[in-house]
Amino acid sequence: MSNLFLTTKEQIADTHTLDVYRSKLQGYKGLEKALTMAKEAVVEEVKKSNLRGRGGAGFPTGMKWSFMPKDPKHPDGTLKPKYLVCNADEGEPGTFKDRLLLNRYPHMLIEGMVVAAHGIGASRGWIYVRGEFCKEIEILQKALDEAYKSGYLGKNIMGKGFDFELSIYRGAGAYICGEETALLNSLEGKRGEPRLKPPFPAMVGAFGMPTCVNNVETFCAVVGIIRDGAEGFAKVGTERSGGTRLFCVSGHVEKPGVYELPLNISLSDLIAHCGGVKDGKKLKAVIPGGASAPMLTADEIDVAMDFDSLMKAGTMSGSGGVIVMDETVCIVEAAARLLKFYEHESCGQCSQCREGSHWLARLFHRLESGEGETKDLDTIARLCSNMAGQTICAFADAVTGPALSSLKKFRKEFEAHITQGCCPLKRPGQKSPHFLEHHNHVTL
Amino acid sequence: MTQATPTQTTITIDGQVVPFLPGDTIMRAAEKAALDGTIPRFCYHPGLPVAGTCRMCTVEVEKAPKLMTSCSTPCADGMVVHTQSDKVKKSREGVMEFLLANHPLDCPVCDQAGECSLQNYNYEYGPRTSEFHEEKRTWTKSTTKKLSEKLTLNMNRCIHCERCVRFTDEVTKTHELTMVNRGWKKELVSAEDLGVVSEYQGNIADICPVGAITFNDFRFQKRVWFLKPRPSICDGCSKGCAVWADEEKDIIYRYRARRNDDVNGHWICDSGRVSFQTYGNPARIVEPLIRVNQGLVATNWETLAPAFVKDLSKASKVLLVMGTDATNEEMNEIQTLKNLVKGTFDVRYFNGVDGVKTSGDDRPMDDVLRRLDKTPNTRGAEALGLKPLEEGGSYDLAIYFRGGRAALASKRAAKEYGWGVFTREEAERFDGVLPGLATTEKSGTFRNSAGHDQKFVAAVKAKGSAASVTRILEGLFLVARREVELGVQ
Repeated sequence: MSNLFLTTKEQIADTHTLDVYRSKLQGYKGLEKALTMAKEAVVEEVKKSNLRGRGGAGFPTGMKWSFMPKDPKHPDGTLKPKYLVCNADEGEPGTFKDRLLLNRYPHMLIEGMVVAAHGIGASRGWIYVRGEFCKEIEILQKALDEAYKSGYLGKNIMGKGFDFELSIYRGAGAYICGEETALLNSLEGKRGEPRLKPPFPAMVGAFGMPTCVNNVETFCAVVGIIRDGAEGFAKVGTERSGGTRLFCVSGHVEKPGVYELPLNISLSDLIAHCGGVKDGKKLKAVIPGGASAPMLTADEIDVAMDFDSLMKAGTMSGSGGVIVMDETVCIVEAAARLLKFYEHESCGQCSQCREGSHWLARLFHRLESGEGETKDLDTIARLCSNMAGQTICAFADAVTGPALSSLKKFRKEFEAHITQGCCPLKRPGQKSPHFLEHHNHVTL
Repeated sequence: MTQATPTQTTITIDGQVVPFLPGDTIMRAAEKAALDGTIPRFCYHPGLPVAGTCRMCTVEVEKAPKLMTSCSTPCADGMVVHTQSDKVKKSREGVMEFLLANHPLDCPVCDQAGECSLQNYNYEYGPRTSEFHEEKRTWTKSTTKKLSEKLTLNMNRCIHCERCVRFTDEVTKTHELTMVNRGWKKELVSAEDLGVVSEYQGNIADICPVGAITFNDFRFQKRVWFLKPRPSICDGCSKGCAVWADEEKDIIYRYRARRNDDVNGHWICDSGRVSFQTYGNPARIVEPLIRVNQGLVATNWETLAPAFVKDLSKASKVLLVMGTDATNEEMNEIQTLKNLVKGTFDVRYFNGVDGVKTSGDDRPMDDVLRRLDKTPNTRGAEALGLKPLEEGGSYDLAIYFRGGRAALASKRAAKEYGWGVFTREEAERFDGVLPGLATTEKSGTFRNSAGHDQKFVAAVKAKGSAASVTRILEGLFLVARREVELGVQ
């Protein structure tokens, strides 16, 4: 048995169509099986697989599902509906796996969602898709239409008496809407701002109803787990996080792209798998799990890519976005660019995050342009310590990821910028292209 | 502070055992035990839903991995809370540093200075210096922006607590205010730039913890540290909202809502908020007036009192029209005038504003506070057994007693006296005016629409020669007795 659960070794054409999905990829076989299983058995099977959420936090999926209340009731005693939401708002810089899944295997997502809906007893679902994914939305909509027509969605699915409605909801371009409660707010038509927890979505989610939110890849992984049993999935990967995952490798490697590999692969093997560092240059740093993950230096890449090992290494597996940087990269510039992103994407609810992300972006910009001072480095560390863990959602922690790790691990480069008054890796006078329009007035 | 009984569930705040009810947050429990002074806050307001975004109220809860926002964390039995630990202090200092980073240093010209949470907390919790060396963020188009005729916004001062947004969403449900854009560019605007329209806008300025939203009527009128807050009752309608009358040297500069959970909660309406102005109006009559040769001229009590007593004793049919803005005490007391009348003495109450006759006509004007009856004590007059003034009836002498809110009844007698609060224009029809006290100048009781008897005390001294009913009656009886003794008929 191959160790691929989501993708295929040989490229198959038109896997996004129902015909090909059914004929070549055992399409909807998992659902067929799931509908003959008891609800609890579906959840139990997913628990056994050790599948952990692929969105970034790595929360055990089966456990998340078991948090859904059995028969939630309104105050008047009538049953509350339960909702299922797919988080397809893939916005983490360096991550592009969900996009691939939506492009190539939309039916796998739909199948996984119906299986999950059966498992948790949801009657209604939404796929919250990043607004910029125009082509993917088109493909997904066609797949939804096909699934409805063929009885995989809607009333009495596959003749087994299970009803589930599913539709697409388009995001409007905010990174923060990838946070599940901000996503729910956005889904409800409100400002995309994370909610105070508790209550958690499993109790009060979309439109006040118990809701389960999972990532695209998580739902897709469920299909194989149910169809072929949890053992095969759990066998791959590590004891605490089963299966394979889609690694999105970008930056300075010979063959960037999305790779489905077991979770216990080491970072150095992963880079080698992608053809090694581009043009035989020396590796400088790697961001192993999307922009929010603290950077690793070239000396730290002998680490397994599963959630726990990376956590132990002081970073995180996150969304599986691996950004490889070679020796030509100015770390200060890279960090400054990331912080500009976070400055732009903070929702602005919490004091520390709204003001801190802005302040840090300014500091990094100043350091990068050679106008920094040594005391700025201490300020960065202090601001980060005042931000991390202090806000409603994990965004502020994410901001401190690149800020603190770059400073801690590449402090010499920061100091070189300060003493030389410019970037040591650039020609004199050459400025970073990202900061041409830089102002502090809001004139919108 | 409240004492816990053994059966109650309790938490410990800074070593003090505090009882709580199911659903109470740490902040609520602290408030009830009068310990909330130890927890600073910006976005939390007891009258608004919890946002939990300013992060200023975080406290350390034993066994919790992170600091918890006391405004949103429910109490659990046996919870141990520290509000002054080093971790908490560091977090507060962090929040203050972040909020002050882009906040302008314009306290000397900011109207909020002196009652600004940001300013006050900075003394207590803030860093002493700033490491922020970047250019401050400014909103070019909303540095001074009109949100409505009543409110001015200075976005540069905003700390994004969004109390104002939640107020329009949850209290007035008018949804005029919203935030647009994200992160550091997040800006407060009125929806579709239509401005704020509700009748409760002043509260938004009250709850704004900084000088971002100010109430135009008060803006730049007075530095707040000169003002002394006096508890009072708004007499602008039958609701009887509790207010703070902020005065200096017996001049009231503003009303603010005073919390009374039984009546008005945390809010007052805008017309109530500016209602004190009537009493400071220069056109208000504060000296006795008497008619001499077709003209109403200023006089003194010594001249007016004998003339009034004489008219009273001469008349065979006297009508006393009691404005429903008199206090219960005044209504009782003034009826002793009967002793100076030799003929019949008829007492009727009169409201007359917007066609309201009795408390039966009163009803809420919206879901918040305002009521149709624009006088404070119709229920009080009815409780005293007074009958409403009817049309018709002929009298020799009519006395219109009024606190300044009730309407003036139409002319009923050849000779008419006004007693209480009138403008010059209103007084033109009278043969004499006995200047009385306004609500802010007297003490007494109003019975509000819900039947609460609400006592209040004078906030300021009387203007000019205006005097209380007690004083005036004393004088009148003194005059009458002297005239009897002198044999004057």
